[in-house]
Amino acid sequence: MDQFLQIENFGRIAPYAELFWQGTLVTVLLAVFTVMIGFCLALILALMRMSNLRPFRSLELDASGHVRQGGVLPVLSRFNPLSFIATAYVEILRSTPVIVQVFIIYYGVFSLIELPGFRMFGFIRFDRFFPGVVALGMNSGAYLCEIIRAGIQSIDGGQTEAARSLGLSQKQNLRYIILPQAIKNILPAIANEFVVIIKESAITYTIGVQDIMSAVNAVRGATFVIIEPLLVATAIYFCLCFPTSKIIAYFERRMSRGDKR
Amino acid sequence: MATRDSMIQVTDLKKHYNMGAIKALDGITVDICQGDVIAVIGPSGSGKSTFLRSLNLLEEPTSGSIIFNGIDITKKKYKDAQGKTQKLNIDHLREKMGMVFQHFNLFPHMTILDNMVLAPMKVKGLSREEAEKKALELLDRVGLKDRADAYPIQLSGGQKQRVAIVRALAMEPEVMLFDEPTSALDPEMVGEVLDVMKELAHEGMTMVVVTHEMGFAREVGNRVLFMADGKLLEQGTPQEVFEHPQNPRLKDFLAKVL
Repeated sequence: MDQFLQIENFGRIAPYAELFWQGTLVTVLLAVFTVMIGFCLALILALMRMSNLRPFRSLELDASGHVRQGGVLPVLSRFNPLSFIATAYVEILRSTPVIVQVFIIYYGVFSLIELPGFRMFGFIRFDRFFPGVVALGMNSGAYLCEIIRAGIQSIDGGQTEAARSLGLSQKQNLRYIILPQAIKNILPAIANEFVVIIKESAITYTIGVQDIMSAVNAVRGATFVIIEPLLVATAIYFCLCFPTSKIIAYFERRMSRGDKR
Repeated sequence: MATRDSMIQVTDLKKHYNMGAIKALDGITVDICQGDVIAVIGPSGSGKSTFLRSLNLLEEPTSGSIIFNGIDITKKKYKDAQGKTQKLNIDHLREKMGMVFQHFNLFPHMTILDNMVLAPMKVKGLSREEAEKKALELLDRVGLKDRADAYPIQLSGGQKQRVAIVRALAMEPEVMLFDEPTSALDPEMVGEVLDVMKELAHEGMTMVVVTHEMGFAREVGNRVLFMADGKLLEQGTPQEVFEHPQNPRLKDFLAKVL
């Protein structure tokens, strides 16, 4: 056992190829659902952060209807509970490790909620898969929220001024002017998040999701070989992530070429 | 001049930043009448643009009042004819004030035609056919009808600014605000934009133009305002301001730019 790896060990793990194939499918499904949940959540969070709900708005006006200058009241009038909640959520999720979040969701939240024990495609345990997707989706939502917000804020302020000066409302400005331009900037970042999730989803094997890492673990338990299954996992992760990021880069280049038309 | 209807009355308008440490506008009082073509001149940082942008509330003034169509638009509420308190709808006001920016601010993801029809369709509720007919008429007036299907990036600076002007006109505003409309243009394109503005002035459009083009201010403006340090230091006909300046700051300014 002096050698780092032994070719014949690949022969010993070959019978478990089915496990790796299933693990790959789980990892990809995990990433797809995570990004979908994450994007929906992020859109809601970004809208909350940029919303203009101010319950104490009336405090900023003085008796004559002018906006007050200075003092506590204008500060209080700017308080936006929706934005506060969304900001708190994003900052907490971004400042804690994913594994802690996954454990809290799985051992905490889903110990209270009974999940049906059926198996998707005959082998994916839903009661493990679902908490994994939820935890990763909640985490990803926090990051995607910042991506969406940055994309919207990257649009030149002159666009909003032009739209508002034409009489478009704040909503119409967002819908017809800002979002169409922002989404073009955001899409590559969302695709990149997909690649990140493929890699990060490995963490969910700790709660028993049967992804690629769990296949490695199962093979190790059965055959006591460790390096070779890890190399197989490395190859699979690489084959998933590298082409995807190259494809994204290609589309990014094509889109930015459109800008300089 | 007194016989004409006053359109916008600005009284003691102030805009302060940092709790009054910076006074971008320091008490501006001016009356803008129907058909006026007002050129606002002055050194950079004098508050010209802030003044213009305050008129349609892109900048929110700190104090003072702007009466437009009988309503003080600096306040968020007003009393209507029946004496009921109404919330000020800023979008309805901006609809009546066209604005042209230094950097054009065309919408890059839309064709020229779509740039022109968006607000008439979404704000005024015109059908696409009506809006397009109107837009093409306006584009024809500035010689850009054949570029209707181009994207803004395909146009020169002068063409973009002409589109920006007719895009604002498509909303049939009562007054047009120009914020240094030729400052970002190459010298040879300044003329084509000024020509469009001159034509507009001759048709009787009320215009407020912040400009560094003294020739335009003198030739087209019927009143010239000179601003420095957030104050309105001198105003009068182009002849008064350019031939017989009174304020030493104005004399100094004119000596540098003329």
